[in-house]
Amino acid sequence: MLVLTDWLARAINRMAETRKVYLDHSATTPADPRVVEAMLPYLTEKFGNASSVHSFGQEARAAVDRARREVAALIGARANEIVFVSGGTEANNLALRGITDASQTRKNLSNGSSTKKGHVITTSIEHSSVRGISDELEKRGWDITRLPAYEEGIVRIEDVRAALRSDTVLISVMLANNEIGTLQPISEIGALVREERSQGRQLWFHCDAVQAAGRIPLDTEALGCDLLSLSAHKLYAPKGTGALFVRRGVRLVSQNVGGHQEREKRAGTEGVPGIVAFGMAAKLAREELAERSEHERQLRDRFEAGVTERIEDVVFNGDRARRLPNLSNISFRFIEGEGLLISLDLQGVAVSTGSACSSGTLEPSPVIQALGRNDELARGAIRFSFGKDNTAEEVDYVLEVLARVVEKLRQVSPLNKVSSMTKIAEGLHSR
Amino acid sequence: MYSKTFKDHIANPRNAGELPDANAVSEEINPVCGDRLRLMLRIRHQQIEAAAFLAYGCPPTLVCGSMLTELLTGKTVDEAMLLTRSQLVAAVGGLPSRKQHAAALAIETLRSAIESGCSDLLKQGKE
Repeated sequence: MLVLTDWLARAINRMAETRKVYLDHSATTPADPRVVEAMLPYLTEKFGNASSVHSFGQEARAAVDRARREVAALIGARANEIVFVSGGTEANNLALRGITDASQTRKNLSNGSSTKKGHVITTSIEHSSVRGISDELEKRGWDITRLPAYEEGIVRIEDVRAALRSDTVLISVMLANNEIGTLQPISEIGALVREERSQGRQLWFHCDAVQAAGRIPLDTEALGCDLLSLSAHKLYAPKGTGALFVRRGVRLVSQNVGGHQEREKRAGTEGVPGIVAFGMAAKLAREELAERSEHERQLRDRFEAGVTERIEDVVFNGDRARRLPNLSNISFRFIEGEGLLISLDLQGVAVSTGSACSSGTLEPSPVIQALGRNDELARGAIRFSFGKDNTAEEVDYVLEVLARVVEKLRQVSPLNKVSSMTKIAEGLHSR
Repeated sequence: MYSKTFKDHIANPRNAGELPDANAVSEEINPVCGDRLRLMLRIRHQQIEAAAFLAYGCPPTLVCGSMLTELLTGKTVDEAMLLTRSQLVAAVGGLPSRKQHAAALAIETLRSAIESGCSDLLKQGKE
């Protein structure tokens, strides 16, 4: 009997060791089996090039058009306002570069060869793709205003209004932040842009909705944006496909040339299987949105209540009311995020530190720093992002592992004592 | 990305915590990334009897601290001073190039700990 109990205990331990819980749905999601099923025929028997005139091509074209309608329906747009691209980063590139290039072309036509560029408004908490393009535009002579997000991680409409200049051509603000999930005042900015445009201004509004799509309802009309970026792999479809919504009448310069695809906005043979998958994923996201977001919200709230109850010295990052339902970003004092990430990974729990693209650098998360957090809190920030297939039981397992790992890492950390010593030293200096 | 030894040390750090009767102590900070390592040694008759560490920073900093305490225990001061960064990197099963700074911080902390300890011991005439 004793031997059997011992064997059972060891078997349970082994199961616990190999257990995997994925809480990194903001980085990517697994493809839904229904999405894979819809996509597979387009890799084999329905392999045509959507630009071909023959029946193989027409079959692919029809599938791309169906997918376009589904993606449009997810965001309350018209099908002909959807441009398929390779992902969120390309969508953001096409939006920012396409609009600024178009504005430059207009200026050159009216003033001859003008060296004066113009002004772009963005925020200090954008995804690295928008940050990267803004930095590049700045090097090319554009003026960039990066709006603050304050402690709550949300930009303020009055700052947008105050930043507007007569030569502002583009405002780019994300809908939901990728690290802390905070929701930005997109409808208010959209209304402001429309008001400005009604006075004859050439001003456009881009919104990166990569993290928001499929997690909260989206309606381009209500948001008032002219361009909106989407990525398929955040919606339970495979990686490699995204879309840019371009409102009818908005002119942008294509960044890919050499083909007529996507209404001249993105040259290159359409990735039909990925697009079909995106279409199915968008359809499922629209149909199951309320159910998914309620489920994820319940898991997230259960998780945060558990963290508050079990672990001391934690700081929740970003406004806790105005944010995505599936995301929680927490700084654990006295320890560093990467150590926590690897320790959790050894227990089968996948989370993320900083944004996925920037882990690997030694820099603390610029988003958490933009909230005014010090280096220690910025380095100790961890993102937990829940998905439709997570369970309450998984949350309880993660809480148990997390409490243990945090305790262990804190035992190794010299920061607790050092910080109190630093405080004493600072006190002495200030006298 | 990391070796089995590395993962073992991150999951079960060796000699973590304060060493109350340490007589050679140093705490070094990497100014670029803010990583911090505190090393505590108890040296008797030129031999390291016990070693302990505390660390804040990326996992390689924690693991290098942990491994260092294992490598040092039982070594003479002279032997410890000969320990190199590449030996430490090899002991943890290798580090990615962008994480080599963790081993450099550990070796720097080791040398300054021994130097501080030796000068204190000499001052007290106990050497």
